[in-house]
Amino acid sequence: MSEPLELQGADRDEGTVVLNMGPSHPSTHGVLRLVLDVDGEVVTRCRADIGFLHRGFEKIAENKTWTQFITWTDRMDYLAPVSNNVAWALAVEKLLGIEVPERARVLRVLLCEMARVSAHLLWLGTHALDLGAATVFFYTFQQREILYDLYERLTGARFTTSTVRIGGMARDIPEGWLDDVRAFADQVTKVIDECDRLLTRNRIWLGRTQDVGIISREDAIAWGCTGPVLRGSGVEWDVRKAQPYLDYDQYDFEIPVGTVGDVYDRYLVRMEEMRQSVRIIRQAIERMPDGPLNADAPKVVLPPKEKVLTSMEALIHHFIIVTEGFHPPEGEVYHAIEAPKGELGFYIVSDGGPSAYRCRIRPAAFVNLQVIEKIAVGQMIPDVVGIIGSLDPVMGEVDR
Amino acid sequence: MAIKVKRTPRPERPPLWKRLVLGELIEGLMVTLVHNFRALREPFTVQYPDEQLPLEPRYRGVPRLRSHPETGEELCISCHQCERICPDRCIHIEDEPHPSGRGKRPRVFTIDYERCCLCGLCVEACPTKPVTSIYMSHDFELARYRRDEFKADLRELYFGKDKVVYGRRS
Ligand code: SF4
Ligand code: SF4
Repeated sequence: MSEPLELQGADRDEGTVVLNMGPSHPSTHGVLRLVLDVDGEVVTRCRADIGFLHRGFEKIAENKTWTQFITWTDRMDYLAPVSNNVAWALAVEKLLGIEVPERARVLRVLLCEMARVSAHLLWLGTHALDLGAATVFFYTFQQREILYDLYERLTGARFTTSTVRIGGMARDIPEGWLDDVRAFADQVTKVIDECDRLLTRNRIWLGRTQDVGIISREDAIAWGCTGPVLRGSGVEWDVRKAQPYLDYDQYDFEIPVGTVGDVYDRYLVRMEEMRQSVRIIRQAIERMPDGPLNADAPKVVLPPKEKVLTSMEALIHHFIIVTEGFHPPEGEVYHAIEAPKGELGFYIVSDGGPSAYRCRIRPAAFVNLQVIEKIAVGQMIPDVVGIIGSLDPVMGEVDR
Repeated sequence: MAIKVKRTPRPERPPLWKRLVLGELIEGLMVTLVHNFRALREPFTVQYPDEQLPLEPRYRGVPRLRSHPETGEELCISCHQCERICPDRCIHIEDEPHPSGRGKRPRVFTIDYERCCLCGLCVEACPTKPVTSIYMSHDFELARYRRDEFKADLRELYFGKDKVVYGRRS
């Protein structure tokens, strides 16, 4: 029988105390458990214990059809469900070799960037709450509420959107929705500025975040960090720029990078990312073309309802897609997108069947979280709270 | 293509006079003050459950069944397509011949609300006209006392749940 984690390798004579943090601790953002060896107030060793939210998504992907698995991806990074939907759909579409029409591409970009704003707003609120600035939480959550209403109008669900389909989108844009998104974009910029005024120069905030949890440029690359954690350490890498998908190379935006790599830099990077996302949202609204939402792939995409009732061929396709799913060619693909937390990728092996032979998910939060075992050492216990917040783990994605 | 990068500069230290009068803190307090007055004027929250926010037309509550909007006939033809596409396998259908002699109708139709993830795939699969037989209703208040109460049968799927009076059971 193996020893419990808090006892493994512990040296009782050194005078260190083992402190258990989590799995249900308000500042660990879910069910993360940290076992800290502390010498007084200073952490001498940190071990992360994960897996409390494990649901076996990779195995589920082997048992569900390509379409059905979309509903599961919602529940990975549950702060930005659309990003996960899009990542999965893009990976399967790459396998199938189909490309969605432009309207669907622009709509996906729009939804992904809204998800990024939503995820970063939540991070900002909870991160500030953890470090003692409770007010920010209310302002950011008010904005997320408006975002959720927009999602509800388009997709029918506030949280688990499931609106992306392989080869297109399930629902078209309702009337007046784009105008409301534009109004939201104007409004959220004001709130971001307000939070900026509340925090960025606030001396308590600076004291809690500056020079805490520094990740060096080399470490960030060596540990495989992606997303804001990597960019906070000054590495210029963003999947949207490096390997553009969904026409991201045609949008005008900048990627923010930090200089020092501490908690404060990651804060600055995410704040700037929200502003850049708002820029992309505005451009996407301007670009939104008319036209079909679904690719012309009758064996993959469900035919429109009217056709099912009139055309025999459409009826047969409908029946086969629903009851059996579609059969992509054999092969392996990897497709990654820049999710709010970093690079989210799906590696799919297909044997030509109606579901994946093997699916490996490369989650951003899981990889980013590992580095905590290194950077928490030598910090005070209250700073660990700030470090967790700045790494922004979502346990749904870490444990999958 | 060169990556467009924006360095996030660290703000400079405020001047001495500003630090002496706690300028940054006052700046922040001004923000909260403005919000306080705004919240007094137009509150953002509502007093649920006394007040309810309107639901959007596309809102996906629990799936229910409906009959023909004009003739009132049963729409479901017991084709099992919703059962097949449901990712959670929470629909269970058993058929019987339709009394008119043509086609089938469901004898048993249950949806397990405990497992349903409200994805709406079943509605996309349903082939009936003029409207889909299965549809996403606007019911979302799902609290029940026992697990078996979550299995909605034909009657509940068509007519909704009997009104539950919450409180101590004798
Ligand atoms: S909404 Fe989704 S989970 Fe629920 S019954 Fe329909 S297909 Fe199944
Ligand atoms: S798909 Fe529609 S018609 Fe077919 S069994 Fe389900 S509810 Fe009935």
